Amino acid sequence: MDDYAIGVLTNIGLFSFLALSAYLLLIAGEMSFGQQAFFGVGAYSGGVLTAIYGLPLPLAALAAMLLGALAAFLVGLPTLRLRGLYFAMATLAAAEMARILFELYRFQREIDGELVGPDGTQGFRGIRWIFERGIEPEGYLALVWGLLLIALVFFVLVERSRLGATLRAIGQDPELARSCGISVERFKLGVAAAAGALAALGGVLFAHHNTYIEPRNFDIMLGVHSLAYALIGGLGTAVGPLLGVVLDIGALEGSRVFQGYRMIAFGGLVAVLLIFRPRGILDEKAVHWLKARFS
Amino acid sequence: MAKSALFLICCLYSGFAFSQRAGATLQCTATKTDFIYDCVIKLSKGGEPLSGAQITVGADMPSMPMAHNVKPVKAKPGAKPGEYQAKLDLDMLGEWAVKLRLAGPVKDQLILLYHFDEKGARPVTRAGKPLRK
Amino acid sequence: MLVDLIQNTLDGLTIGAAYALLALGFTLIFGVLRRINLSYGPAIMLGCYAATWFHVQFQAGLLALAAITLAATVLAGAYVERLCFAPHRDRSAIAAMVASFAIWMQLEELATLVLPNHLYAFPALYEGGPLGFGPFTLRADALVMLAVTAVACIALQRLLYRSRFGLAVRAVIDQPVAARLVGINLPWVFVRVFALASAIGAMAGYLIVASAEQVTPMLGMWSTLKGMLAMMLGGLGSLPGAIVGGLALGLIEAHSQWFFGPQVRDLTAYFLLFLLLALRPSGLWTTTRSVS
Repeated sequence: MDDYAIGVLTNIGLFSFLALSAYLLLIAGEMSFGQQAFFGVGAYSGGVLTAIYGLPLPLAALAAMLLGALAAFLVGLPTLRLRGLYFAMATLAAAEMARILFELYRFQREIDGELVGPDGTQGFRGIRWIFERGIEPEGYLALVWGLLLIALVFFVLVERSRLGATLRAIGQDPELARSCGISVERFKLGVAAAAGALAALGGVLFAHHNTYIEPRNFDIMLGVHSLAYALIGGLGTAVGPLLGVVLDIGALEGSRVFQGYRMIAFGGLVAVLLIFRPRGILDEKAVHWLKARFS
Repeated sequence: MAKSALFLICCLYSGFAFSQRAGATLQCTATKTDFIYDCVIKLSKGGEPLSGAQITVGADMPSMPMAHNVKPVKAKPGAKPGEYQAKLDLDMLGEWAVKLRLAGPVKDQLILLYHFDEKGARPVTRAGKPLRK
Repeated sequence: MLVDLIQNTLDGLTIGAAYALLALGFTLIFGVLRRINLSYGPAIMLGCYAATWFHVQFQAGLLALAAITLAATVLAGAYVERLCFAPHRDRSAIAAMVASFAIWMQLEELATLVLPNHLYAFPALYEGGPLGFGPFTLRADALVMLAVTAVACIALQRLLYRSRFGLAVRAVIDQPVAARLVGINLPWVFVRVFALASAIGAMAGYLIVASAEQVTPMLGMWSTLKGMLAMMLGGLGSLPGAIVGGLALGLIEAHSQWFFGPQVRDLTAYFLLFLLLALRPSGLWTTTRSVS
């Protein structure tokens, strides 16, 4: 496989973590503009743990996921009673605060004669754990997609279970769910933490793929993009967000036809698509139809 | 005690791969086609020009990560020792993080931040300081 | 020390006036359509870019540029309304919002295709130096900004309280269902409100780039963010709240920047917003408002 294809596929995989994170919150009925903050938390914490403290990547990734979940919990708790656009605004504010905190975060240690660590707006260079172990791009692609597939399996299992039904019930009608005895607040916090952990995992993988991160990577554009991918791909299944990412980064970016006009094409496509399918391509109806057809 | 042990292990790990990092500078001029640049890469190690390396050049935009997929190109050896040429095909003007993957005598990965405009590329300075390699 | 405080207050009120205008436009769309328009800033940016293009090509004068900004912004706004908001009127707010994000991307790419550089000079509102009175300085374009904002607010107030259109708008804000039942043509109200919001935004954008004497593609996201922030601080959907929120945001920014620098300035604004949402979602200005 050539370098270009590997690069594109890796990026699709990395972005999918973010898109899935936004998707999880969407099916629970909340629109979040802030998942990029947890992506950043994962990236920075994972990077610091491997580059400065020399922790192996699996351990650093686990720690990063925990931190991502914690951060999401800290944002989710005060905003628990907020709904709709209010919640969206609050997540936006929280995410921008996180980004500014990344800009102020300086933590450098001298390792092997070089200063390593986050340096505020100058960024964080030298996240070379993957590179130093001679892991080739193909291998890393396999790692990213392997983890993504595990996440997808998780999602599919949850969808079929009572938990999945509960989450969708909360998403569609929280009052009704509450009257059935479901503790809406507890579930929402759980979902927020899970989504934060998922985004953080994507962040660690992103940081080690790029070897260089800076606060600007984690701005609103990233967050709104992930929300858009989740919605466009479809809210009926976890494959939906992946479809959204593939459509933009894969199909449109890959094809030379739209060179320089990609946003114009993609933007128009999305707006028109949403007119006919406001819950995405693979929305609940489509998924039911597919299931009925193939079972 | 544990901290210094960890530190030693880190040093050993890094020392294993290479003790001196390669450095590079980029010089790009715009071509007649929009967003395509002719670039000359000057590679050095320990102050000496480094020739015979195989460089794969890629790029990503810090303000929109993972969204641009620039086709990685293999650099060709240039006129002088330590110099390499590559044609970079970006799809936008602005700040790019150019990724140089080195194979050959030295294995390394360098990230250079450059601002690309209609004339060429200039290194990015933040807060008045040029960014280190 | 006191001099600095008052100077910062003056500066804060100046930029706050721009924020107030941005917030007014944003709030009109939110209060009437109950939707967040992520293309609000980008439409303004496109308007300013259109003016810049005319300036670059034909050296058009200030007044002509203002007219072009207004026309282009309203046109872009109409495009956004038809494509992103009209089709989703009775349906999901998320779809409308994501559609407006998609068009935001479109408008931004369009602008950078026409004018690819990251910075363009824009003619200044006032060529002379800042005016001084006593120990304070006030730039002439700041005075123009404040004056225009004041006039715009008064004009808007008269429109809303002394015209049939204004009556319809207020009715839709308060009770959209009842408004429809008494025969108000909602879609037509929405179209006109959108045009009005775009016009106000265009005014704000023009004043901002003429004062800054430059225009960048960042203006799009920046305007949307500031409009949104100011609206939220003042009270979602409340027009007087938008003005209060805008001025408050300007003051908060000016003072926190003075003491702590630009990063803390932005941090403070977002922190305040988060706090307000967590404790008092209805905002600073409103007393009780239904959250829906």
